[in-house]
Amino acid sequence: MLVKKPVRNKKKLSSPAPQALWAKMDGGRLLTNESGCHAWVSEKDFARVISGRIAEGDPLFAELSAAGFVRGRMDLDGLAAKWRTRNEHLSYGPGLHIMVLTLRCNHKCLYCQSSAAGEGAKKTDMSLKTALKSVDFAFTSPNPAITIEFQGGEPLLNWGTLTAAVKYARKKAAASKKELKLALVSNFTLMTEEKARFLLENEVSICTSLDGPADLHNRNRIYAAGNSHAGAVKWIKYFQKKHGNQVPEYRIFKSSALLTVSRYSLSRHKEIIDEYVALGLEDIFIRPLAPIGYAKGLWEKIGYTSQEFTAFYGKCLDYILELNRRGIVIREKMASMMLEKILNFREPGYLDARCPCGAAIGQIAYNYNGDLYTCDEGRMVGWEGDDIFRIGNVFKSTLKGALSSPAARACVVSSNLEAQPDCSRCAYKPYCGVCPVFNYEAQGSLWGNMRSNDRCRLFKGVFGVIFSKLRRAGDKEIMEKWTVKNEGR
Amino acid sequence: MKDVKSGKELIFETAVYSKEAVELAAYVFSGSCGVKVLPGKSATRVLLDGAADPESLAGKLANEALNQQCRIDLAKKNSRIAGIIVTKALLSACGEKTQAKNKGK
Repeated sequence: MLVKKPVRNKKKLSSPAPQALWAKMDGGRLLTNESGCHAWVSEKDFARVISGRIAEGDPLFAELSAAGFVRGRMDLDGLAAKWRTRNEHLSYGPGLHIMVLTLRCNHKCLYCQSSAAGEGAKKTDMSLKTALKSVDFAFTSPNPAITIEFQGGEPLLNWGTLTAAVKYARKKAAASKKELKLALVSNFTLMTEEKARFLLENEVSICTSLDGPADLHNRNRIYAAGNSHAGAVKWIKYFQKKHGNQVPEYRIFKSSALLTVSRYSLSRHKEIIDEYVALGLEDIFIRPLAPIGYAKGLWEKIGYTSQEFTAFYGKCLDYILELNRRGIVIREKMASMMLEKILNFREPGYLDARCPCGAAIGQIAYNYNGDLYTCDEGRMVGWEGDDIFRIGNVFKSTLKGALSSPAARACVVSSNLEAQPDCSRCAYKPYCGVCPVFNYEAQGSLWGNMRSNDRCRLFKGVFGVIFSKLRRAGDKEIMEKWTVKNEGR
Repeated sequence: MKDVKSGKELIFETAVYSKEAVELAAYVFSGSCGVKVLPGKSATRVLLDGAADPESLAGKLANEALNQQCRIDLAKKNSRIAGIIVTKALLSACGEKTQAKNKGK
């Protein structure tokens, strides 16, 4: 094969058309490139960069060369290594396996994306046979690290199947030598000491929803039989205490909580973050609402614009950084994951912001009846009557068959940023990802149209906030520490 | 874009818009109203019929046609790298090894 020789610039100036993507930011330009390197330049310098008028002796020349922005001065091996590390998800199979143990739920959350059925609904529980077959299916993934996440509905409503699946998965892991992580997402209202003990002894990590102070949480998360917030707080404290008193027999993971931002949250960023800090939670994931499931029908009431979310996100990050300066440990999860890509060139396992997205190749959702979906969001669309994201069934399909399904292939192709008109030239491309399910629900096609896509605007807003903070030395120093935590994950 | 008896008519010049781009755009809106694509030599015409807000829908369809055309144009330039990424992702997920023909460079 013919190998091109590196370009030598005889004029000792940077060559025109730098290898860069760019965005206007804070009166200057943010430059990024395919390897994930970034740099800031003033508008004046940007004009020089673009026209190739930066002389070799200029300090900016050295800075941009080192980051791979100057054609002819690129360390191709080093940059390729960075690209490979940041895109290592391309080399593994699905690692996240979401098992929907039941569609039943005792909550009626305003924004519910899980398409939950009422607590008394029939024939919406996963049978033991389906659960065990789903575990078998998960272990056919070539990924050496498997995470099985038990979800619902409310998974504790199908406790017998949950315990059997946990034990079976542990046995499978021991036999297959794969690394296995088990996770439970529960609202905690049905948690008991006995159940908690089982989960701890089997090293199941625990996650719940916490939307902030009691009035806000309970407004979003309606629980007719009691106080949802009180239940969540009680068991967060319980698991925090257990985490603090480790035992030699098994590892006790720190429990975590998920925040879903509704319109009601927008004016209350400090109270929400204070609630997390007061409970000793060290991570808060400021997750935007998506117009999928019940939220779609209630969007006028509980939804917001991408600009409103970005403003909220910016205020949250300001406050979190202020708390960090006061010595309080609290990190924002989305920023942490993006920083992992921006600063460390590593893939943090954030399936929503990958290229291609995690649908089918990074995760699979197992419905209660054994149907397989590209992701949990795809399953919700199925529950609404449109099975476009269904990729098979655990009893009838193989992994290869599921990944060869039209839905899986279409999601991989349509979420490839190289084939998305706006994304392919976006400064945030090295760190971002599109969601075919969102595109389909909001814009009627898997590809979407990024020019008028709310998710795109929202992600651009979030990246804008993160990069603005990175420009300030003090904030950057704090945010760098957030990624150090990820290393010990 | 012009008003016709039953709704709106959009005209896409074939010099800019391929028939494929217009058809893809029309498909996106086929659930919202009646959409009829009429290919012609110099232009592809699209008839929208029975839309609740024909003006707005016609604008959205025009945007979508532009988006689809840009995507088709981009695919001509980027199809190789896009294909490599998709193939690598799907084959790896199936557990099949992909072999780099150019030794990883």
